[in-house]
Amino acid sequence: MSSNSESTSRAPAPGAHEPIQLSLGSWTTLAVVLVAVGAVGFFLALWQGMAARAWQAYLVNLLFWMSIAQGGVVVSTAFYLSQGRWAGPAQYRLAEMFAGFIPLGFLLFWGMWAGRAAIFPWVLHPDPQKTMWLNAPFLFARDGAGLLLLTLLSLWFVSASRREVVREWAKTPNNIVLPPNIMRRLSPAVALSFAFVYSLLAFDLIMSLSPQWRSTLFGAWFFATSFWSGITAMALTAVILQAAFGRRVVFFNRRVLHDLGKMVFAFSVFWVYLLFAQYLVIWYGDIPVETFFIVRRSIMPWLPLSIAMITLIWGVPFFVLLGRRPKRTPKILGSVALLGLVGIFLEDYVLIVPSLSPEVIPYGWVEIAVTAGFLGAFALCAFPGLRRLMAASSGPFAPAGELE
Amino acid sequence: MAAAAQTTGVSAPTFTDIDRQVRRVLEPGGLQFWAWICFCAFFICVAGALWTNQVYSGLGVTGLTQPTMWAIYITDFVFWVGIAHSGTLISAILFLFRTRWRTAVYRAAETMTVFAVLTAGLFPIIHLGRPWFFYWLAPYPNQRSLQPDFRSPLVWDFFAISTYLTISSLFLFMGLMPDVANARDAARGWRKTFYSLLSMGWQGTDRQWRNFSMAYLLLAGFAAPLVISVHSVVSWDFAMTQVPGWHSTIFAPYFVAGAIFSGVAMVLTLLIPMRKIMGLEELITPWHLDNLAKVILLTSLIISYSYVCESFIVWYSQDAFELMTFHQRYFGPQGYLFWMMVACNCVIPLLLFSPRVRISTAWLFIIALFVNVGMWLERFVIIEGSLATNTEPSQWRFYHPSVTEIFITVGSFAWFLMLFSLFARFMPIISMTELKEGIQWLREALRDNYRRAA
Amino acid sequence: MSEVRLVASFADEERCVHTIERLREAQVRPQVFSPIPSEKIIDALYERPSFVRSWVLAGGIFGALSGFALTLGTSYEWNLNAGGKPIASIPAYLIIVFELMILCGGIAGVAGFFFTSRMPVTEPLAGYNAHFSADRFGLVVSCDEAESARLEALLKEGGADEVTREPV
Repeated sequence: MSSNSESTSRAPAPGAHEPIQLSLGSWTTLAVVLVAVGAVGFFLALWQGMAARAWQAYLVNLLFWMSIAQGGVVVSTAFYLSQGRWAGPAQYRLAEMFAGFIPLGFLLFWGMWAGRAAIFPWVLHPDPQKTMWLNAPFLFARDGAGLLLLTLLSLWFVSASRREVVREWAKTPNNIVLPPNIMRRLSPAVALSFAFVYSLLAFDLIMSLSPQWRSTLFGAWFFATSFWSGITAMALTAVILQAAFGRRVVFFNRRVLHDLGKMVFAFSVFWVYLLFAQYLVIWYGDIPVETFFIVRRSIMPWLPLSIAMITLIWGVPFFVLLGRRPKRTPKILGSVALLGLVGIFLEDYVLIVPSLSPEVIPYGWVEIAVTAGFLGAFALCAFPGLRRLMAASSGPFAPAGELE
Repeated sequence: MAAAAQTTGVSAPTFTDIDRQVRRVLEPGGLQFWAWICFCAFFICVAGALWTNQVYSGLGVTGLTQPTMWAIYITDFVFWVGIAHSGTLISAILFLFRTRWRTAVYRAAETMTVFAVLTAGLFPIIHLGRPWFFYWLAPYPNQRSLQPDFRSPLVWDFFAISTYLTISSLFLFMGLMPDVANARDAARGWRKTFYSLLSMGWQGTDRQWRNFSMAYLLLAGFAAPLVISVHSVVSWDFAMTQVPGWHSTIFAPYFVAGAIFSGVAMVLTLLIPMRKIMGLEELITPWHLDNLAKVILLTSLIISYSYVCESFIVWYSQDAFELMTFHQRYFGPQGYLFWMMVACNCVIPLLLFSPRVRISTAWLFIIALFVNVGMWLERFVIIEGSLATNTEPSQWRFYHPSVTEIFITVGSFAWFLMLFSLFARFMPIISMTELKEGIQWLREALRDNYRRAA
Repeated sequence: MSEVRLVASFADEERCVHTIERLREAQVRPQVFSPIPSEKIIDALYERPSFVRSWVLAGGIFGALSGFALTLGTSYEWNLNAGGKPIASIPAYLIIVFELMILCGGIAGVAGFFFTSRMPVTEPLAGYNAHFSADRFGLVVSCDEAESARLEALLKEGGADEVTREPV
């Protein structure tokens, strides 16, 4: 990005209406290095007898990055279903930017087969009442099939979304014409299978780590979180791009940022509502088989992380983005979005790790290396999407300008 | 200009056309209208008489008995609170999302909200053995400093429903002001006085509009989380207990989705005949109905998801009591109610995937009726079924409704329809202001390119 | 010098906004009547958003605080263990707090609207007519007799359907 960054002066730069071509050479190298660090760290940890920690970090990262990628695609389906066109094709390319990670995430999911004994407590200590559901072959078969379906649908959706006729539709905000047929069929299909598959993932990959515990809303909460992480990643990307390219990208338009800010705000409130709806029922009902899950996360050593998670996902966006001006200020919106993503990472961590390691918070080079590896892989997968986003968000269509 | 507009109104309505069509509804009603009001009033009187008898003789005249002490009255309560939800969804949440199709339908939905809450609010009182003590729910200063227990979901209910009634009435009143001013300027006689009082002297000055827009936006911003909280609180009346079939974390969002589902279905049930009888086809177009149908479809899918999730987690938990309650719910003596509910709520609305069904008023009306039935059954199945098959099998007894309960339920529908009909006759039931503001979308919807696109 | 009032009516929002801008350039503040909420008209006349915001904020904060005061105060006044829940059952009380916040904020918003708009009004304002609630945008300018010809020309030039002149 830096190699091509443009001055943000107010006068229109020469060639301001040319689509921006990115050269991401140095960033690609960095990402490859990160992947290498991650891979080496992961296998070193396995070799050194820290398999549990390595696999926990793997699972946390897998869910975190997949959620962003898949959440973004689902945000795009939501745009089609509500006929949103406030930023033209750019908002669709922005939402679909991370889709490249979805197939990789599917492959990485299968990697967990190797670590199933380290991840799932019921592999070594089966619960006789629940073996029908909680056994490794069936779990991988159903989740794998679901993910395969969702991956194929998402890729189909993303490629259809880039067709000429669909892009033309996205450029016409001033009518009530519905999107082209293909999008009207694929969008609900992707959204529905997302809700179904991500609920399944939540029940299987997170809830089953404490096999006694259950919460009916947990699946819905997990996919709502995933949706929100897609939105925050979009907001963060938009802010970074407008900082790098200024008036040349559509995200310079404060109205676009305002819309993104409103979405970050609204779905953050929705997230805390779903959290509260679960907490209150469990707190009030006071049934030990339900409460232990929350109790473990609200005592030391996990309490600070739980508080931090709620603060970053709900507290900060709510109080900072309440007004109109902060939503329109790139630096503020960007910081909130970045902190929100950190919060989501913490959420995955707080949901998964205390079930496996209740007494201590494992952190150290293993977790850092694995996270770095996933970050690098995610970036590599997102670069093609970023190029397409730049083509859509700059150039003659982009209604830049308008400061307000 | 007005004369020219009358002939070209169909393809490109002007401000004048909108005024003309809405004001026509406000003209004095004929005999048929008052006959309909009397018809409703008759059932209200029957219900009132039966209720008086119930107060006099005690709750024994109902079918309530151990262990099923909550049945039809509470079902009606939840049903009507649910109906109230679509109004605020359409008027507040869709307002915040800047949805274009809400303009023609939101006033009717909002009116429905207020009257549905008024109807719902009656049922907890009807359900009381000593209804004259209902104010014990409210905190008020008294000699012994006795206050309601704020940990009780029933007290939350009291706060939530009162707040909802207040805020939705204010919201309706605010939105009405510019339209009532419009009606005032065209009216004569006692109507002029009536509209003048209600319009509070609205004249559409820049100062008024500036403050109005801000106040309306913020009210919408407050009403949006409120509407979600209200039905969540209603769901927590059940979920806070440990009764199998009630104690479930998904209840809050699931009830909210169900409420919107039933509410939008009720909007369609009322709008489709209304636009026909009052001749509002050019203002409430297939485009509006299509979008309402999509909301029904979405919420139908959400509640289907909830049913599946609920059943799955019960099976996953392997909790003996939950398993038994759900087994009774599906295959017990009253299992047919559950399967009827599934047909009405999950299967029949799937027809709405077809664009042709979504713009056909006949289909929409039929589907909406099924949804109304299905959602009433859902509440009944949850409330009555879970109590009848509780954790003590020796206590199990299924409930059977009494004549009193049935006719009070019928009376509640009559009461609601009467209030709504009166409002639709004397108040602008379509927001002229907002239709004019988004007149270009109305023009597009009428230009028939919508039907082809769909 | 006697004053006159010019009442111009517009069929078109765009032209009305344009004329307001021209008037503002001429240092004249018109009174506007509009049948629809028009962001453009408001933007042409006002720099800052409406003060109703502060009313709502104050109402909301007041409601939330009174919710805490009510629930916590009454619980501590009568220390009664109900259902094994703590005396200060914050998760449960949050619901009351939330509802009161919405209630007070909403009422304050409506009250603030009436206060800041100086409503209710019992008499029609100068220059108002029935079209301004239905299908016409109205601009009302009060000015000196001498200046009136120039402003009238400006209004007509801006696209007013008709401009009437009333003595004050």
